[in-house]
Amino acid sequence: MALLAQYVVGGLAVGSLYALVALGIVLLYRTSRILNFAHGDLATFGTFVAFALITAARWSFGVSVVVSLVVTAVVGAAFFFLIIRPAKEATLLGKIVITLGLALFLQGATTVLWGTDTKTMPFPLSDTRVYRLGEVVVSQISLGSFAVGLILMAGMYVLVQRTRIGLAMRAVSQHTVAAQVLGIPVRQIFALTWGLASALGAAAGILLAPVTLLDPYMMLDPFLKGFAAAVLGGIDSMPGAAAGGLLLGVVEALFGAYVSVKFKTTLAFVIIIAVLAVRPEGLLGREYKRRV
Amino acid sequence: MKLARIGVFATVLVLVATATVAQTQERGITDTEIVIGSSQPLSGPAAFWGQGVGGGMAAYLQWINDQGGINGRKIRLVLRDDSYLPPRAVANVRELVERERIFALVSLIGSANTFAVRDYVIENQVLWITPTADANMWAGFRNKKYLFVTYPGYVDEGRILTSYAAKNEGAKSFAVFYQNDLYGQKGLLGIKRGIAETKTKLAVAVPYEVTDRDLSGHALKLRQSGADAVILYATPTQGALIVREMAKIGYSPKLFSSFTLADPIMFQLAGDAWNGIILTAYYPVPGSDPKVDAMLETLLKINPQLRASPFNALAGVSFIEPFIEGLRRAGRNVTRDGVVQAMESLRNWNGDVIRGVTFGADRRQGINKIYIIKSENRQYRKLTDWIEYPVGF
Repeated sequence: MALLAQYVVGGLAVGSLYALVALGIVLLYRTSRILNFAHGDLATFGTFVAFALITAARWSFGVSVVVSLVVTAVVGAAFFFLIIRPAKEATLLGKIVITLGLALFLQGATTVLWGTDTKTMPFPLSDTRVYRLGEVVVSQISLGSFAVGLILMAGMYVLVQRTRIGLAMRAVSQHTVAAQVLGIPVRQIFALTWGLASALGAAAGILLAPVTLLDPYMMLDPFLKGFAAAVLGGIDSMPGAAAGGLLLGVVEALFGAYVSVKFKTTLAFVIIIAVLAVRPEGLLGREYKRRV
Repeated sequence: MKLARIGVFATVLVLVATATVAQTQERGITDTEIVIGSSQPLSGPAAFWGQGVGGGMAAYLQWINDQGGINGRKIRLVLRDDSYLPPRAVANVRELVERERIFALVSLIGSANTFAVRDYVIENQVLWITPTADANMWAGFRNKKYLFVTYPGYVDEGRILTSYAAKNEGAKSFAVFYQNDLYGQKGLLGIKRGIAETKTKLAVAVPYEVTDRDLSGHALKLRQSGADAVILYATPTQGALIVREMAKIGYSPKLFSSFTLADPIMFQLAGDAWNGIILTAYYPVPGSDPKVDAMLETLLKINPQLRASPFNALAGVSFIEPFIEGLRRAGRNVTRDGVVQAMESLRNWNGDVIRGVTFGADRRQGINKIYIIKSENRQYRKLTDWIEYPVGF
């Protein structure tokens, strides 16, 4: 029983990070219908910026993180203004392919700037200091990142559902032209969404880095898992992304523990196929309708 | 009509003539240059290995060229990135052979990648120097005339490491954490043989995928097995992550690992958890041998970035040293068969890094010995003398 609980706790800890990645993907998808394949690489880039500020510039952890989130947000918004918007004639699929280009560009830039060797991220919480609840062990860092993850998720929910900016985002996502006619600054809203989604990714990257170590390819797996979580929860539902991430983390941990550790990695993809076949709108998504 | 026929005939004649000329001129050799090529994971999950090995080879060749090259020819290395993906390795090798027209293929990291290009390279009779992959795959393989290997087999290594752990460290039951591809599977096979030899027990074998980053579940599985020794066949990232995860849940068995994780970066990535781990080595580790230290010094002078991965850079040197010696012995008139003959004449030959290399008419396995080292206070200490294993090919 203690073992089961330990697996669940581990699953929740990693699941909260999947959820953060998924939130970034969903946020952008809701507003622009673009699946951003550069999300993982934007996150990696942001994480490396934080790493550089902490180690090379010797800034404090807090300041470095804030600056790196802002930098990543600016890169995301700039990508929208400089590349996606001028390519407005492109089909949706074309725009998705453009994000693949951005992914390759960022990956190359990260490799050139910081090299390919694995690095350790300085982090204020320890991953070897552990708390014991009975026989279940939780590391300080897992607990911390779980808490930060929940706070960020709640913050996103409030922003989208309870503020005027969120209202504007939802309006743009429902009908871009109508929103424009009503005086909503559509371009700014798109740019803001790109920026926010990118910053969310960077936050996930920074929380992951001390656990996964830091290299230019660190987000490869978390991005795919985040994507699977988004599909599982419903790709246009923010609460769905959060629930999907946590659920995927736990299911994966239990599958690895009691079924097969060899096929654990494959599970996320099986889930994508199963969800798309049985319930394409995901767990908490609205019924799938084509936008007209 | 007749004129056209004559024209066609003439063209055919010219084509045949040029083809004959091209055949007599050795591929990849000019008056001033010898072109060699390699495909390495310069990006992707194994980039750390590829950058170190590729960078080490490039720096070593620059050092050779700065001294005037070999018999008046400089050596040019064409490096291609395969991201550790077998299909890209295949495309790279084809390009290197057919377009770059390389004289020899050197290294090529990854057992799966090597496996993917193996038939093509052998069929095209390309000189291939030390594919950086499980050497045991060559035992029983035919047509190895142009292949030379100075890299240990993971099966031999796994067996020796396990047997050492059982006999000298008192290990009774083993848990194995391995990469789920040819590299890890061959290591596991060797461990199983070692276990059979020493009548110990395999408690559990836990595989991971090369992209996996969350290893908390894997660590729990290892602990659950109750094994008193854990052996790693992993990349530096996953190797570091698993020992950290094990430390986190308070599981501290005796640790063993393949030489693939000997690079000092592990001290930094895994921290204190790396202290006390026992590994193998197939060339003298830096700090234990003046010639190796001097070579490392030379490499770092040429490319200071190699400081991040000294072991891999030296490994890169160890892969091509015997080939450079072969070229030297072959003389000014370089042909593939001439180099093969020259390399077959190496008997217990010592390079700056690799030691005791022997090839022969029927022998393509250049080295058949490793030794055991232990990490202590961020240094490696030699535990045994060279341990020999049978020559398999």
